[in-house]
Amino acid sequence: MPLDVPAIRSQFPIFQREINGKRLVYLDSAASAQKPQVVIDAMVEVWSHSYANVHRGLYSLAEEATLAYEGARAKFARFINATDVGEIIHVRNATEGINLVAYSWGEEHIHEGDRIVITELEHHANLVPWQQLAKRKGAELAYIPVTDDGSLDLTVLPDLLEEGRTKVVACSVMSNVLGTLPPVSEIAAMAHAAGALVVMDGAQAAPHMPLDVQTLGADFMAFSGHKLCGPGVGVLWGRRELLESMPPFLYGGDMIVTVKRDDSKWNVLPHKFEAGTPPIAEVVGLGAAIDYLTAIGISNIQQHERRIIPYAMARLREIPEIRVLGPAPSERGAVVSFIMDGVHPHDIASVLDEEGICVRAGHHCAQPIHDRFCVPASARASFYIYNDEEDVDALVAALRKTVSLFARRQSTPR
Amino acid sequence: MSHDLYREQLLDHYHNPANYGVLEPADVDIEMDNPTCGDRIHLTARLDSEGHIAAVMFEGQGCVVSMAAASMLTEALVGKAPEEVNRMGLEDVEEMMGGVKLSMGRVKCAMLSLNATKQGLRDAGKLA
Repeated sequence: MPLDVPAIRSQFPIFQREINGKRLVYLDSAASAQKPQVVIDAMVEVWSHSYANVHRGLYSLAEEATLAYEGARAKFARFINATDVGEIIHVRNATEGINLVAYSWGEEHIHEGDRIVITELEHHANLVPWQQLAKRKGAELAYIPVTDDGSLDLTVLPDLLEEGRTKVVACSVMSNVLGTLPPVSEIAAMAHAAGALVVMDGAQAAPHMPLDVQTLGADFMAFSGHKLCGPGVGVLWGRRELLESMPPFLYGGDMIVTVKRDDSKWNVLPHKFEAGTPPIAEVVGLGAAIDYLTAIGISNIQQHERRIIPYAMARLREIPEIRVLGPAPSERGAVVSFIMDGVHPHDIASVLDEEGICVRAGHHCAQPIHDRFCVPASARASFYIYNDEEDVDALVAALRKTVSLFARRQSTPR
Repeated sequence: MSHDLYREQLLDHYHNPANYGVLEPADVDIEMDNPTCGDRIHLTARLDSEGHIAAVMFEGQGCVVSMAAASMLTEALVGKAPEEVNRMGLEDVEEMMGGVKLSMGRVKCAMLSLNATKQGLRDAGKLA
């Protein structure tokens, strides 16, 4: 079913405002998505009517808060088709989820001489934790390379897995720069056959496509609520037997069952990994965001973007000064990164800002993939449920303006 | 705000930078970059007999803000003592660029050449 974009926009209060006197054209959802009124209302509702600390109080308000908080966990489980809510760990964001795995699982299972495999297109969130773990342990960090067309070169993977030294393969489900959709299930099957665990970074993919942990083949997967039109909380999912075998990541209240002067016992899953008072209203807000997106339909969102992306790429091709990075429209999610001859991405973003258009400029927390394509930075337009062809047209018109603004005038020697 | 950044004066310095190149020999010779945006500058300077800046040249790559600021700075620094350069800050750079107000995200672009000059002077032992 096609999305009713004007109706969706009207559900997001931010689209009532203007930027520099122009209609807001928000093309930076890959960095963080805007929030619909229902999500804002859900959090205000918690703070106004149902707020108390969770898992502790014996009064009815505390029970209400706990029910809402744990109800959201059940929604997160359904969202990724996890059957066991104990496998759903609330974290700050995908970054924290991956760090949890790298520290808690990694410290015990990665040893000198082991190999960790990641890919060249990883966001720093799924790169630096593994890089630093490898450094701490004297392990090897190997990269699956990216081809010129922006896909992964899996021909190297059998060699990387062959000797049985590889203990973990970490891969993004969707690149936040190129939009590439790596064949993660295929990678997972190869990794598992070689005895390695698979960690998937679902931060970029979760808003745009159905993620089913039963079929993806991941052992761990993390995603961020703020990219799902929710607030700043995230989810780590992991297989129960792995989570149970792992030591806690953070110590403190709520993650224990008993504390004696000299030792403590850990709470059951998922609480073992949730030390301290959690962001209660935010978790409930993410539950509301997932209800909102589920009502629209993740498959409908995917179809919507499969229409926008080819249109955007075709329109960008009309500007000869622009080079788009990454794979063909049919092979990518809803991000388009590009460079413009002779114009720094910062300048593109500043000129576009004048037109009310928000794009990201820089390396988008993914320096190695920019190095791979020999560009220091790029500009990135990303699309979501509130974007349509009209936004693409506004982008293209503003980019044409940028080209003409920077057209080299007659050189006048200084 | 951003409209100010792309007015004639700054674009002119971007397209036709002043003192573009390398001074040889030089008393100050430094390379600096902003890894987050890929701006990169190589700045060389020569001091006169009294220790004041006699000439500055730069080369590099970057956005309008970083390159125009560098170009204008090569002119503005001449005649200054190293201590005077060290006292310069964001306000001086904004004034030098014709009174623009830089947004948070562009400050480090504008400050790259001045920061490079200060670091270069320190490295050369010209600043305490």
